[in-house]
Amino acid sequence: MSNKALAAGLGNCPQCHKLNVMHAEKQACSRCLTVFSTRKPKSLEYTLAWTIAALVMFIPANLYPMMVFYTLGKPDASTILDGIAIFIQMGMLPVAIIIFIASFVVPLSKIMGLFTLMYNAKRKTKLTLKQQGKLYHVVEFLGPWSMLDVFVVTVMAAVVNLGFLTSVEVASGITYFTLMVVFTIFAAESFDPRLLWDNHQKHNHRITETNPKYNNKDELPHGK
Amino acid sequence: MIACNQCDSLLPKPILSEGQNALCGCCGAMLFSKKKDAINRTIAVAIAGLVLFFPATLLPIIGISAAGLYNDASLLDCITILINSKNYIIAFAVFMFTIAIPSVRLITALYISSCIKFNRVKPSLLVFFRSYHLLDTWTMVHVFFMGVIVSMYKLSSLADMTIDGGLLSLVLLLVCSTLVSVTMDEHRIWDELEKSLEQ
Repeated sequence: MSNKALAAGLGNCPQCHKLNVMHAEKQACSRCLTVFSTRKPKSLEYTLAWTIAALVMFIPANLYPMMVFYTLGKPDASTILDGIAIFIQMGMLPVAIIIFIASFVVPLSKIMGLFTLMYNAKRKTKLTLKQQGKLYHVVEFLGPWSMLDVFVVTVMAAVVNLGFLTSVEVASGITYFTLMVVFTIFAAESFDPRLLWDNHQKHNHRITETNPKYNNKDELPHGK
Repeated sequence: MIACNQCDSLLPKPILSEGQNALCGCCGAMLFSKKKDAINRTIAVAIAGLVLFFPATLLPIIGISAAGLYNDASLLDCITILINSKNYIIAFAVFMFTIAIPSVRLITALYISSCIKFNRVKPSLLVFFRSYHLLDTWTMVHVFFMGVIVSMYKLSSLADMTIDGGLLSLVLLLVCSTLVSVTMDEHRIWDELEKSLEQ
């Protein structure tokens, strides 16, 4: 196992990436003066809280309509899934797939991904470290893309405004949706990916401790 | 020595020539890279982006016409309509993610780069550059652009649609906003700030 900064009494500043000698649990970076710890404090607790908040927001975001479409004064409210169904009926399958992925699959899989990461940071799992790292990257990258539907509805509401003929109005579901997206970004921000490697090392370390002979054998050739 | 930000491995700091990247040997995450002509390029791109903000927010992006009626909307119109329909949370979110945060990010990039170029390093730059790192996650011009494209798709079946100058400026702004993160050499700027503040 390669050596870790934590074991050497060093810490990487999360803002400017300067390696600091840690004097205390929490200290200011010698270069950019950000106060930081070697690991984000209470990272898992914060991530769990934000993820649960996002999951709760996911329910009203899908139950309430995102926008109301007025045709000749007749209102027609549609939720996210309604909107996708309309696109499939209209035969616009590519758009339906984009919206289905961006506003339904992505938020849900992000929440699932965060739960998986939190579980991986605590317990030993079948996922390899490379896969866990990739999962973290994906969750981090997806963050802003869930806002896609919010922007679509915003543009629609502003552009489709032909008075009595047709107009689009923003409905309450979109507020919950926006909150959900913001909460998942906060959750991904508060997760500390180094915990994944710490946890892996902790489990591997136990194995080497029970077989101390292996360590001695490794050292022998160096001694000579 | 440097430590990987993803897996916390300790590694010797490599010396790179311009245009090279350093990857972590343990997890494969990018450690840092040395970029060509970073300061001048960042200044140029940031100025271009800031100028483009005005047409991108004020000019209409798309318009529709049906039965003799015509309506178009700019980014600013989108936000005012949200405020008028009392959706304050979304209005605030859209304003922050598409106008406020990207523009502050460009101003910060421009200010820091020009201060380093003209050798006027002040301690206040640390605060500026720290905020630049924070703003990176919350810039969503690219997502807004994708949203415009999807709504164009939706509208094309509904009515006659026209594309206006706002869309072109938005594309160019997106290019500038992305290029800033490509040209900006964060490690070099931190190193220079540290060097000149110690003296």
